[in-house]
Amino acid sequence: MKDYQLQDVLEPNLLKELFPYSLPPRIKFENSIKEIIDGKEVEFDPKSVISRDIHITDTTFRDGQQSRPPYTKEQMVNIYRLLSKLGGPQGVIRQTEFFLYTQNDRATLDACRNLGLQYPEITGWIRANKADFRFVKEMGLKETGMLTSSSDYHIFHKQNQTRREAMNQYLEVVEAALEAGIRPRCHLEDVTRADMKGFVLPFVQKLERLSESQPEHSKVKIRLCDTMGFGVSYPNVAEPRSIPKLIWRMKEECGVSEDRLEWHGHNDFHKVHVNGATAWIYGVNALNTTLFGFGERTGNPPLEGAIIEYISLKGDLMGIDLAVITELAEYYQKEIGAAIPPNYPFVGRDFNTTRAGIHAGGLRRNEEIYNIFDTTGLLNRPPRVAITDKSGTDGVALWVNEFLGLKGDQQLTVMKVAKIQRWVMDQYEKEGRLSTISDEEMEQQVKLHFPELYEQAKRKS
Amino acid sequence: MKREEIANRVIKVTARELRKTPEQIKEEHHFAYDLGADSLKSIELVAAFEEEFDLNLNENEALKVQTVGGAVDFFSKLLP
Repeated sequence: MKDYQLQDVLEPNLLKELFPYSLPPRIKFENSIKEIIDGKEVEFDPKSVISRDIHITDTTFRDGQQSRPPYTKEQMVNIYRLLSKLGGPQGVIRQTEFFLYTQNDRATLDACRNLGLQYPEITGWIRANKADFRFVKEMGLKETGMLTSSSDYHIFHKQNQTRREAMNQYLEVVEAALEAGIRPRCHLEDVTRADMKGFVLPFVQKLERLSESQPEHSKVKIRLCDTMGFGVSYPNVAEPRSIPKLIWRMKEECGVSEDRLEWHGHNDFHKVHVNGATAWIYGVNALNTTLFGFGERTGNPPLEGAIIEYISLKGDLMGIDLAVITELAEYYQKEIGAAIPPNYPFVGRDFNTTRAGIHAGGLRRNEEIYNIFDTTGLLNRPPRVAITDKSGTDGVALWVNEFLGLKGDQQLTVMKVAKIQRWVMDQYEKEGRLSTISDEEMEQQVKLHFPELYEQAKRKS
Repeated sequence: MKREEIANRVIKVTARELRKTPEQIKEEHHFAYDLGADSLKSIELVAAFEEEFDLNLNENEALKVQTVGGAVDFFSKLLP
């Protein structure tokens, strides 16, 4: 056994290279990842995410809208504008896709396009049939996704076709798109439950042959759709559930380049975000997401989670305006009426709120102890404390100082707020209260015990 | 201020806050173990000392004081 000796250092080692606080924590890789495929060891280089053009694509208006009442045109235009602001000028949020079926769908697409924003680029989504394809042509889109279901569950049981009939139908629409100068993006629906060697690989190889004669910007894109969330990120998992093997076969056996590969996941097994990030790491450039993960059934990879992951992998904001995540969450809750769970990461009401006195004590001494990164500077969300019988005098002091906007030496000590903490404890011990003390109640206590500071703070705000 | 005066005032405040008579308070008494002060009561006691001696105390230093005698010494240094 290797013998480790205590290093009794004088200064703390805060591992700032990994936890810079001014940015989300870094994810760094040390070595290549090995996988056994068909009895042969293959390697993946996870460090390539730094140099590769990994990016986010959005399906808030397509898959995201399948899970909820339709957005109004005004809401979609506003969300589109905010997505553009969030993703920044380098187009970290590269594309977003629209339904094309109703007049309202098409009018909304036009309204978004008329904003003249470079990113996200607008693409369409259709079923792989010629009747749907005319909408793409009419709207003058450069790229469209098309549903090319790949599992026998879909081909046999939903489409009532043979594999050959399905493949011929898909290829016919792909060829029509290429002839019309529209880039097809084939959505391999249910690919993590499909016969890889008997359907998926022959189909994608055919698509690659069609792409050979096409200019780079027209070559067929492949979206790997983990429709039921069956994909698994662990090494050496059996196919078709293995994400690493699926990506390797697409690239090495079909010749699809990383810039034409995209991952689309679902959260049925709580794996949605990690599966998406895994796809990035194993060689897919585009990760398809929706805002707050809203999507069919359990939802899709949350866009805001992908944004934070992106920064963690790249080690740079890359032009991303993170505060827009908070703006979008407020818009969803106040204007659209969507519910975001309080403990939902990065945007939920309580995502950086502590209720434990011992954590509040830590936060008061140094907020980095119990805050994931500089949520004030990056997300415009200062760490907070919720007052209960467990939050302690430290919690009260943190709440009062934050409310009054007091910094450094100006901050009130626990001795100064002891009377408020006594009132809090009396609520629970004498009044039998079970609910959290509200912000309004705390404000009244501040007004009662610190009238001058209260008036000053009100004037400032 | 003389140590004896400080000791009398510390004992008077401690007795009042912890609902005891001054005779029950000894310098060797530990606020928590001997006199039953929980964490909030300890903070309230320090707040009462601040009021008694008209001081704004450093929270970390003040809350380190554990005994009545320790408090007398602490204020003796602050009130020469």
